[in-house]
Amino acid sequence: MKDYDAKMAAQLQPLIHSHVPSEPALRVKALETLLVEKELLDSAAVDAWVEVYSDEIGPKVGAGVVAHAWCDDGFRARLLDDGTDALKEIDISGWALGHLKVVENTADTHNLVVCTLCSCYPHGLLGIQPPWYKLEAYRARAVRDPRGVLAEFGVALPDSVSVDVWDSTAELRYLVLPQRPPGTEDLDEAQLAALVTRNSMIGTERDLPVKTGGA
Amino acid sequence: MDGIHDVGGKLGFGPIKVTHHDAPFHEAWEGRMVGIARGLARAPDWNSDMFRHSRELEDPVLYLTRPYFDQWYKAYACMLVGAGVVTVEELASGVSDGTRPKELPSPMSADTVTKAKRAGARFERPYDKAPRFEIGDRARARLISPTGHCRLPAYVRGHLGEVIAYHGAHVLADAAAHSQTRIEPLYTVRFRLSDLFPEREGAADRVHLDLWESHLDDAG
Repeated sequence: MKDYDAKMAAQLQPLIHSHVPSEPALRVKALETLLVEKELLDSAAVDAWVEVYSDEIGPKVGAGVVAHAWCDDGFRARLLDDGTDALKEIDISGWALGHLKVVENTADTHNLVVCTLCSCYPHGLLGIQPPWYKLEAYRARAVRDPRGVLAEFGVALPDSVSVDVWDSTAELRYLVLPQRPPGTEDLDEAQLAALVTRNSMIGTERDLPVKTGGA
Repeated sequence: MDGIHDVGGKLGFGPIKVTHHDAPFHEAWEGRMVGIARGLARAPDWNSDMFRHSRELEDPVLYLTRPYFDQWYKAYACMLVGAGVVTVEELASGVSDGTRPKELPSPMSADTVTKAKRAGARFERPYDKAPRFEIGDRARARLISPTGHCRLPAYVRGHLGEVIAYHGAHVLADAAAHSQTRIEPLYTVRFRLSDLFPEREGAADRVHLDLWESHLDDAG
């Protein structure tokens, strides 16, 4: 087998594009069939991965971590110090969590996570990226006009709050620890986790709404 | 590489298509592509930097217009054909020519997924030299234009930042994408938006990037 060769890959991009079916669904189906025939892939494993990221690993995992940090100051401190290590305490590990950095929103700081060069994301905590996170409009502007980006998500940030943007250029992955909403002292960890949204853990949402009437 | 993928700070892409509660996959083939990528029997020396670089090599017009997971397809197809694992004819027909590289391991089974879903790769490596920068140092992102894979985005090149964290020595992505192993100190470097973009003058907002030592020069 040959080594990976970037020059060859550059030549293969147009060649492959012009020879394979144009419909993504057909291309991917042909690839799966071919790899299974070659005994390089087990369709049952593909099924299992789809199930993992459809049902099991998604924003609810991250929301549980955030709620735990809100309820346990010691864990919160350890999570901010070394995210990957702290997650072991609550038996969480996974895809793209080898070097987790958690950044905390405060009264005068707001954090926003992006990957300008591709679409790096803490998959083990948030699952598969939302479409906007992968598209150029967000990736281009998050680092240049974060307040304008936040406004498009409905977040009006006062001038007194500064923005810290985190561009995931290496293998560190970032999770925003949003502020605990006021008036939630009586909620338990599971009820708190239900308040935490995916976008708040990326930083495109700030003030989490408190669900009233039996949250 | 100065490619279409390096979009940080570029203008003209229009409003963001904001959504709040998405399903992970919007069409079934997207999930299949992720499953293929995660479950494929692969050579042990393949890495995610090769994958990222393969995606960067997509035609710029297609990069901006083709669905995201279709770009995954193309990146994997390039890697598989480039490594001699499959041929373009096989990709086009979906029919195997009956060959299989002997050196590749068995594919992942559904049972193995239970364990593999808990795995998160570590990129820190032993390093016996002292890092060149200390926390608090000013550093200048190098003004470079390499032809290969490069995780130093164009929007900070030539600009001064402040080193705010040291993460030990990590596998250098720029080399790993080209089948080379280089280990370098990795830092988080903070840049002020007011230093990067003229219209942000006076703003307190900051952007942080994780950069390797070869991305940085002394402030001088």
